[in-house]
Amino acid sequence: MSQERDESRRRPSWMAGIKPRHALAEVDPLPLLKLDAVVKTYRDPMTLKPFTAVDGVSLTLERGEIFGLLGPNGAGKTSTIKMILGLTRPSRGTILIEGRDPWDPDARRKLGYLPENPCFYDHLSAVEYLDLVGSLFGIRAETRRARSQALLQRLGLGAHARKPLRKFSKGMTQRVGVAQALLNEPNFLVLDEPMSGLDPIGRSEVKQILREERERGTTILMSSHVLAETESLCDRVAILHGGRVLEVGSVKGLLSSGVVEWEIGLESLTPDRALALRAQGHRADSVGTRWVVRVGSESALQSVLGELVRAGIKIGSVEPRRESLEEHFVRALGARREGSL
Amino acid sequence: MTRTLAIAQNTLREVARERVVLVLALFGLMLLMGSQVLSPLALGEGRKVVIDFGLAGSSFLATILCVFLGSSLLHKELERRTVYAVLAKPIRREEFLLGKFLGLWVTAAMLLGGMAVILLAVVTVAYHDTPWQILGAVGLNLVELGIVTAVVVFFSSFTTPALTAFFAVAATVAGHFAEDLRYFASQGTPGIRAMVEAAYWMLPHLDLFNARGLVVHGASVGVERLLYAFSYGLLYVIGMLILAGTIFRRREFR
Amino acid sequence: MTRSLDRGTLVGIALAALFLACSGWVHHAAGSKVRGVREEELLYYPSGVLVRRAALGYETAAADLAWLRSVQYYGEHRLTDQKFDRIDHVMRIVAELDPQFLEAYVFGGFVLAQEMRQPERGLELLELGLRANPTSWRLAFETGFLHYVCRHDDRSAGRYFTWASRMPDHADYTERFAAFANQKAGNTGMAILLWKHTLLTGNAYMQEVARKELRRLGAM
Repeated sequence: MSQERDESRRRPSWMAGIKPRHALAEVDPLPLLKLDAVVKTYRDPMTLKPFTAVDGVSLTLERGEIFGLLGPNGAGKTSTIKMILGLTRPSRGTILIEGRDPWDPDARRKLGYLPENPCFYDHLSAVEYLDLVGSLFGIRAETRRARSQALLQRLGLGAHARKPLRKFSKGMTQRVGVAQALLNEPNFLVLDEPMSGLDPIGRSEVKQILREERERGTTILMSSHVLAETESLCDRVAILHGGRVLEVGSVKGLLSSGVVEWEIGLESLTPDRALALRAQGHRADSVGTRWVVRVGSESALQSVLGELVRAGIKIGSVEPRRESLEEHFVRALGARREGSL
Repeated sequence: MTRTLAIAQNTLREVARERVVLVLALFGLMLLMGSQVLSPLALGEGRKVVIDFGLAGSSFLATILCVFLGSSLLHKELERRTVYAVLAKPIRREEFLLGKFLGLWVTAAMLLGGMAVILLAVVTVAYHDTPWQILGAVGLNLVELGIVTAVVVFFSSFTTPALTAFFAVAATVAGHFAEDLRYFASQGTPGIRAMVEAAYWMLPHLDLFNARGLVVHGASVGVERLLYAFSYGLLYVIGMLILAGTIFRRREFR
Repeated sequence: MTRSLDRGTLVGIALAALFLACSGWVHHAAGSKVRGVREEELLYYPSGVLVRRAALGYETAAADLAWLRSVQYYGEHRLTDQKFDRIDHVMRIVAELDPQFLEAYVFGGFVLAQEMRQPERGLELLELGLRANPTSWRLAFETGFLHYVCRHDDRSAGRYFTWASRMPDHADYTERFAAFANQKAGNTGMAILLWKHTLLTGNAYMQEVARKELRRLGAM
């Protein structure tokens, strides 16, 4: 009671009837990137006809995730990325990077960017180019030197550091691109086709680097045509088509609803039974000494399982095969074209 | 400023490594040596001929470098898309443009300065007297080069290399005729007069920077003239670069 | 976003206009003091104006080229027909491009006077040079010389030699020439003045000559 009296003495009289809050609601941190109904319209320079490259895109990127921007050519991925980088301005809508307009140079201070098919000053060597990039970020000379050396080593370019960039292959240029994107230890990486021009080892190395960056808390926005890699790397993806977002969500979430078929593993199967199953429209294939029967729907699965059990055939395994991101992407685009989405 | 200087240093490296610069420097050297050959034909005016040709040649070559290399400087960045990776860094567009201007101007200045030093050496050795007064003319020429470079950067911020070179040359030539244009326009209709008056204020007035005639006859460039020329040049260059920066700031890179 | 960009653009244009206007003002302020009065004189020589304008700031180098050509022109005709009809025109172009190119007036004047026996035209060219270079003792002296040698006009010669002797950095002999010419022309007062001046030159031979002449004139 004395505590209540003490509290009431501390609080102003006009608050006497109001219950005190004992905990403050947590303030949500700013999303790293927020696009709000962004539209970009160009005019054809010859015909002056307007062309909408990005049509009402809204996206939010949270910190520490790898976000994939997918879509066919002309979907608006690069146009969206250019607006995020301040290379072009939205015709309508807003873009904020940690609450700042991308046009503000400070918004790009902790941003790393790898352009598609990058082209750098080919009269410079790799080390000279990274030195230039470091100067633009305001990084001190000794720090830039140390980071450049470390990055070039990490990306397998240590021996080529002093060669002019004009003598670099496509893959080597791509690696320099990754190095210059990481030089300022960014908290936001924007990568346009990061695997382009890389051999399988190179791709694996870059993927490893991106995973390490994510562990560090870096947010990564990547646009890619190589969907298999996007599937393995990205936490969330957005599928763009005609400048609009068709779908956005986690990779697991997008693919969980898409079970393509069920696979029943069998120890053995008689040729007659296999023929009968094929006659019903299912697939029955021998894999070594075992058999795999593939049925297209859950109802068919129930019916086939019942049949096999009644026939005394031992069921080894039953597994759903989910569609890959590529299959989902193609299906989503096809559905869009048919107007069912 | 660090960012601007980084771009300037890169531009200097890029331009200086162009073969054209070497060709221009060699040409300048040949011109100086050649004028020495002509001097016996000049009936005692050999020293004047060497200094004249040296000053005129170095000024002309440095101007050529500014106009023709400068006009493609920005366009090359856009063609090769090297500008994307740079402008995605925390650098303002105006800083980028200023860096380009400084790099180009310093390269032209180095060509001009180098030729001036060689000219001084050639005249000293051949005529046993050092024409120090040519440094005044060279100083004015440097400011003139700054103006030409600013005009080139202005046009290149929004048009193609060919048009940039054309407009830059046209502006420079028209700048020499500016007073005459104004005089002729004063005889015309009010509309023509207003248009020409507007053009008159925009055109670079390069007559202030031509002291070649003075120094070749042994006179020095007065301090008053140097101050006026420097002030005019600085104000004009700043005005042009602000205009170029304003236009470049609005440019979109599709 | 669009509104703030427009404001930035307007500010940029306004600032640029301000700086360009200031530069124009500086140029205007500099013009009358620094550019000199050559432009007005050119109005008297319309044929040269175009040549000068075409030179685009490289007038003195163009003058040198013209000079080299004119020397070649003289040389060729010297070796062939001894006719130098165009020497006047050619030297005037050199002078138009570079009004301070003294040699053009002197050489042209002498070729016209001595070789073409047209001293009036030679003197006209030298007068042109004197108008552009009024403080040139050399041009004044050469003009006086032509008057003395070709026209035998002691009075005019004396006048020009006196002019030369009063110009900065003149050669010592101009005073001697001035004194002699004025004496011959009967301008005794001027002759005495000039001889007395010669006494101060420090050249022993000249001082002896000056004393002799002054005694002859009854001034010593």
